[in-house]
Parts: sequence; structure tokens; C-alpha cells
Amino acid sequence: MPLADNSNLEANLRRIVETADLGNALVEPLSGSIENLLRVLAAEMNSEDASVLVRQGSDGELRFLSAIGKVADQLRNITIPAGKGVSGFVASSGQPMAVSDTTGEEAFYAEVDRQTGYSTEILLATPLRHNDEVIGVLEFVNRKGDPPYKPFSPEEMDKAALFADAIAPLVNAYESAKMFRDIGEAGFSATGIDTVLVRKWLNEIRGSAEYREMMEIAILIRDIASRSAAERQLCREMLETMIRYADQKDESSYLTH
Amino acid sequence: MHPPSELEISDISDFAGLARPDSNWRSGTGRGISVAIVDSGVDTEHSDLTRRVASSVEARAENKRILFDPSSSGDSAGHGTACAGIIARIAPDAELHSIKVLGPGGLGDGIAFLAGLEYAINQQFRVINLSLGTTKQQFFSPLHDLLDRAYQAGCVVVAAANNLPQPSFPSVFCSSLISVSKSEETDSFRFGFRFGETIELTAPGVNVRTAWPGNLYRSLTGNSFACPHISGIVALILEAYPMLRPFQVKSALYAIAAAGKE
Repeated sequence: MPLADNSNLEANLRRIVETADLGNALVEPLSGSIENLLRVLAAEMNSEDASVLVRQGSDGELRFLSAIGKVADQLRNITIPAGKGVSGFVASSGQPMAVSDTTGEEAFYAEVDRQTGYSTEILLATPLRHNDEVIGVLEFVNRKGDPPYKPFSPEEMDKAALFADAIAPLVNAYESAKMFRDIGEAGFSATGIDTVLVRKWLNEIRGSAEYREMMEIAILIRDIASRSAAERQLCREMLETMIRYADQKDESSYLTH
Repeated sequence: MHPPSELEISDISDFAGLARPDSNWRSGTGRGISVAIVDSGVDTEHSDLTRRVASSVEARAENKRILFDPSSSGDSAGHGTACAGIIARIAPDAELHSIKVLGPGGLGDGIAFLAGLEYAINQQFRVINLSLGTTKQQFFSPLHDLLDRAYQAGCVVVAAANNLPQPSFPSVFCSSLISVSKSEETDSFRFGFRFGETIELTAPGVNVRTAWPGNLYRSLTGNSFACPHISGIVALILEAYPMLRPFQVKSALYAIAAAGKE
């Protein structure tokens, strides 16, 4: 492949690939777990639709990370400005709230409803916290069956707060993994390399005997490291010795095969 | 309004008398009492709120400082209007002052919230409704200082509790403010006092029907809707006894709540 024109490229590309690999390996499973958990929680709340919104950017606008229900696919493309609407308030203030009784005048979740054609009748929104930061909002919308819907009760609000505590670490892990993936993608852009080519190459090495061998070594290391602190220390020292030796020999073969 | 001097402080000696059904505060309307609503703004066009909002300001970030400008942007989320509607129902003649600290344009972080509280204290509004909170440790100390300033200035700060396992500020600073959590009570004038608890007061906060932007109404549930019930009642008590200090207001609330349980 025509990738190794300058001396730093190989090392840079390796870092980018590792970063992108790490992100890619985690993003999809975490996304799937969040959606599955959301489905279970919605059933527990007897709710028709549920979603997880996350804060993004310095302005703190919200985007739908995950959604289940009738308009789930449309929601994924929608962002809500900071402090706007019920979910914006909950994210900005950290205060959970439940809203009902729209009396058919106009949906209170107006902008999102306008974009999706959905009719929000009752809504429970509770903040998602990681450490002491609000990272997003967990929402339950409407009930199963036909309106009018029974409003969310104080007990359901308490339950939703517990659910939020359960799902928040997953959301935080997803966002971290996504950040790694995005950094990897940005790294590709910065090198000016055709990402399609790099991906193709990445897939090739994944299928290669060398890659499988690397994975086997990684599993061996994990097995050793999981035994005790003494084994971990020994393993670390051996590996560091090998890396120093390899650096001295300058025999890296990552891209040349 | 300026805080009273030491000699003017005590204009009430019979707290138990406040609990009587014919006590004079119950027939009040909050006239002459200023109530700040530090929140998402207030829809001043709502029919429940016309001519009741004496001022509206909005936080603006500039060079890492927060400034307050006159606001005509209304309510970005509905929450501030809902709180104002509850206060106006209980104390219809209270002077409402909207301090918007939530909304687009970088607002909504804790700094704007603190700045809004400081603005309300500097204006010496008698009651400050804080249906907001934060769990960020970095704001613990500055909030504590601000609440001490509020206490010294004679401002009664009423804050909503948060349904969280970890402490949220300012609701845990129970000595310098009044913290409120929701109850299923439906009578706006019936509230509870949980003696010895961090969150001392309970007030109606379940399916509370109140104003919503666009001249609408919504039924809302949350601690943040219990808080304005107490703010409204404090406005009534201060109208009847304008010289009360914050600790006396809390004693009055306790006396009324304790009598209500009998």
C-alpha cells in the first residue's frame, strides 16, 4: 500500500488505527446494550416509547443517543438546543419532572413532535448523571395502549431515577468509546490518507495470520495478568524489556509486510 | 426593600397563632412582597401572569463573566412559567421577578445559576425561588457563601430538593434556606415539616396543574413544583409580618405545618 512515505507515518498510523479499533470495538456493543436496557426499562414503566439523550458540545445541546418506539429512527437525527423544552430543562437543571394533561391543545414537546409527526401526551424525564455531572436525560413517553394515558406517578419517578443510575455508566462508556472512534477518524483526516484505503488495509490485517497471532498473544497476556500482582509485575517487566530491545533493534514490521 | 434593623426584627411573638384558620396571613395576597424566580424565564403574556411580573432579566456570558440584561425572550423550557403560575395562584399580588439562567447560548451551567442567585440577593428580593440545583462539588463553597449572604440580607431562599442518592446543592444547606420536596397533598395551603430531616418541608408536587407557555396549562410532577408553593406561602407570611428574618419564617412554617397535622 502507498502509505509509508515519511518516517513518522507508520507510528502515527499505528496509533490512529489502535484508537479507532478501540472505539469501534466498543461503540456498537455499548449502543446495543443501551437500547436493550431501554427496552426493558420501558416495559417496566409500561411506557410506549423511551429514549436516552446526551449532552454534546460546549453549548450543551442534546442529541438522541438511543430511542425505542414508533419514531425511534427519526429521533436519532434530531438535536435539542440547550435549555429548550422539558428535556433541555432537565439536562440544564438536574431536576427530574413529569408532565401530563396536554388537553389536546398543542403537544408540549412541540419541536420534536413537529419533526416526527408524533404526539407526546405524557412524559417523564430524569437526568443521567456520571460522577457529579449531568451527561444526559432518560425519557419515557406515553403508555402502551390508547390515550388518555395515566400520568406517571411519584413512585415511577423514583423508579426512573434508579433506572437512570443504572444506564448512566453505560452511556458514559459509550460516549468515551465514541470519542476514541472520532479521534481515530479525525486522525485519518489529518493525515490526508484515503480512509477507504486504510479501512480496506485494516480489514486485510484483521484477517491476516499476523493479526490472529497478535490476538493470541494478547489473550496470553490477559491470562497471565489476571492471576496475581506478582505475575502482572513480571509480565510488565518482561514486555518492557522486549520493547526496549525491539526499539534498539528498530525492527518494527507493522507496515512492511 | 431594605432588611430590617435589629430593633425592627421581631413583629411576631405568637408563632402558634399563625396556625389558626383565621390567622391574618391566610387572607393575604402577597402585596408588596418581591419574589425572584431563578429559572428558565417566565412567559409574561400568560393570562395567569399578566401584570404580575415586575421585571425580567436574562443571563449573558461575556468574557467569562455573567451579565444580566432585560429579557423579552420569555421561557425557553416552560418550567419558570409553571413555577410563576403556582406562586401567582397562592400570592396573586406578589411582585414576581424573573431571572433567566437556563436557555440556549451557553446558559444552564452552574455559573449562570450562581450569578442569578447573586443577582437576586443584590436586588434584595424578599423571597428567592430556586427550583434548580447542582451536584457539582466545585459549587459547594460558593453556594454556601451566597446563601449566607442571602440570610444576612434577610432574603428567604426556598430550594427544591433533588431525588438523588448524593447531596445536591443548595438543598442540603438547610440552616440558611428552606428545602422542599414533593407530597401528594392537593390543597396548596397544606404542607408538612419533617423535623430533623435535611429536606425539612413537603408541599404539593404531584400532578400540579399550572401555567405553561403559550397560555396553556399542564399537570406537572416534581420537587421543583413543590418549591413554589412554599415560596407563595412565605410571601403571604411576609406580607402579614414584613420584618420577619429567615429563621423566623422557618419557625412560622413549622408552627403552621405542625398544627396542620393535629
